[in-house]
Amino acid sequence: MTMKKLFIITALVITGAAIISCNDVQRKPSNVYMPDMAYSRAYETYADHSNLAELGINYTNLPVAGTIARGEEFPFPLTKDALGDTANYFASKQVKSPIDSLSKSEYTETERLYLINCGICHGTKLDGNGPLYKGGEGPYPAKPATLVGDPKYAAMPEGQMFYSVMYGKNLMGSYASQLNRKQRWQIIKYIKLKQAEAKATAAPADATAKN
Amino acid sequence: MISHRSITKTILLSTIVFLSFSFGNIVMAQDGKALFSQNCAACHAIDKKLTGPALLGVQDRWTDQKKLYSWIRNNQAFLKTGDAYANNLYNEYNKTAMNLFPNLTDAEIGAILKYIKEWKPAVAPVAAGGAPAPEGDSTLLFGILTLILAIIAFTLMQVNSNLRKLSDDKEGIHAPEPVPFWKNKAYIAFVTVILFLVGGYYTTKGAIGLGRNKGYQPEQPIYYSHKVHAGINQINCLYCHGGAQDSKHASIPSMNVCMNCHMAINEYKGPKFYTEEGEEVNGTAQIQKLYEYAGYTPGKPWDPSKAKPIEWVKIHNLPDHVYFNHSQHIKAGKVQCQTCHGEITNMDEVKQFADLSMGWCINCHRETKVQFKENGFYSIYEKYHEDLKNGKIDSTKGITVEKIGGTECQKCHY
Repeated sequence: MTMKKLFIITALVITGAAIISCNDVQRKPSNVYMPDMAYSRAYETYADHSNLAELGINYTNLPVAGTIARGEEFPFPLTKDALGDTANYFASKQVKSPIDSLSKSEYTETERLYLINCGICHGTKLDGNGPLYKGGEGPYPAKPATLVGDPKYAAMPEGQMFYSVMYGKNLMGSYASQLNRKQRWQIIKYIKLKQAEAKATAAPADATAKN
Repeated sequence: MISHRSITKTILLSTIVFLSFSFGNIVMAQDGKALFSQNCAACHAIDKKLTGPALLGVQDRWTDQKKLYSWIRNNQAFLKTGDAYANNLYNEYNKTAMNLFPNLTDAEIGAILKYIKEWKPAVAPVAAGGAPAPEGDSTLLFGILTLILAIIAFTLMQVNSNLRKLSDDKEGIHAPEPVPFWKNKAYIAFVTVILFLVGGYYTTKGAIGLGRNKGYQPEQPIYYSHKVHAGINQINCLYCHGGAQDSKHASIPSMNVCMNCHMAINEYKGPKFYTEEGEEVNGTAQIQKLYEYAGYTPGKPWDPSKAKPIEWVKIHNLPDHVYFNHSQHIKAGKVQCQTCHGEITNMDEVKQFADLSMGWCINCHRETKVQFKENGFYSIYEKYHEDLKNGKIDSTKGITVEKIGGTECQKCHY
């Protein structure tokens, strides 16, 4: 009799311990004290907005066409070319950059933005060999443009570069959602400054080589 | 007659091919790989359709090698000759104009073609190990050991009392009949206290844990590995979550951010990965899932207006009565993402790292020094800046977030 009871108690304790110590992957969120305080009653970013029209709520998450945010550059005058057309791509050569130079702090900030958004493919040294390409070893199958060292990009006007950054070119996608207009022009200025720097360091080397 | 003609044709063709090859061989210095990567690789891969067609077997597709050479050198001029194959190709690729290469010599083109012909697909890396070994959790082991020891102690105590009774009987000392252990008050009191402690511990833990989600690791609609993207491929957190530096939300990347890379990257070749349950995940199939959401067919131009949003499951969630702003922490405070989100670069499936409790927030606000120098955001705290200069405030201790009001209730609750 005693042994039987002992056995039952032991079994219960062991199962209890096993249940407690089993920490599985937590796939569901835990409960909350007061859901109406924890979860927003108001519409928040990333809430389900799909049924707003049915509820009679007029809401658009895009700014009115033609509005310009304070401190933002004027919009790019050219639209994206239709498939198979290159008229605007060539016309973009004529568009002038609204930015003449970068101050020291602007340069550091632009460099930071370049390294985050562009360096991953075009390389931290702008040599078209970022960590995603790695000389063909990386996962990206196409060679990114060599921004410094390729005469084609040294000669490319800033407006045409802006067209490619804004609308994408070949396999490169549009960066309009990641960088605002001012940042895009600044990054292009940064590339131009880097190209000029490389040219300046290469030229004296050539001169000494000739001598 | 016909056979005679075809033989001449074959001989002619092979001579041209042979000539072009021997040309390439004579100029051994021409490195086909370097030339290919410099001139072609931006738009062409050898085994994959990119902006332009895959180049494997390109020489077999062009019957006349001379035509191929002039096409490579100046495709626009060649198109005007009205060659049917070239014009079809041009239309098939949506009239995407190929760059002109007027400066490529025959030897250089030969070297590139030779490189393409001799190219072999890279051998897939042997997957390191099988499924990850389950990490040993020793808590259960210790629990069982403790239990066994407790049972042994209990049995020994029973044996002891029985033996004492026997010896007492032998010596003629009259001892009362021992009470069975479940009626023994000492045992009952002991078990009650233990139950109270254990029960109390778990009740308190559960009550505190209500609404806290440390370790929460939901299944996402696509098995997206942060380890592969942010770890192995070194993509900066802010590339996708750029909102973290400009707004309250870290922002979930829109479809075009995924497609920036995945228009070209359509297969996964990295190390194998597994779900937390230990099932192997097919990376390429996950990219296919992305294409379904994006409405993209590889090789065809992508129309972003066809894309449907991916409904990712939010992991880090603060209650509505707490205000939290990412840009304040990232841009003004210069806090690293990993401080609150843990080693994201090592997580295949993201897991909530911190418990995001108020104590956790306050603790960090008390301990963290504000980066006062060269940070325009804090320039209005003139007195603190002066005190720091005069040495009134120990500069090694610095100004904590608490000192500038980081523990005031209404900073986060209003």
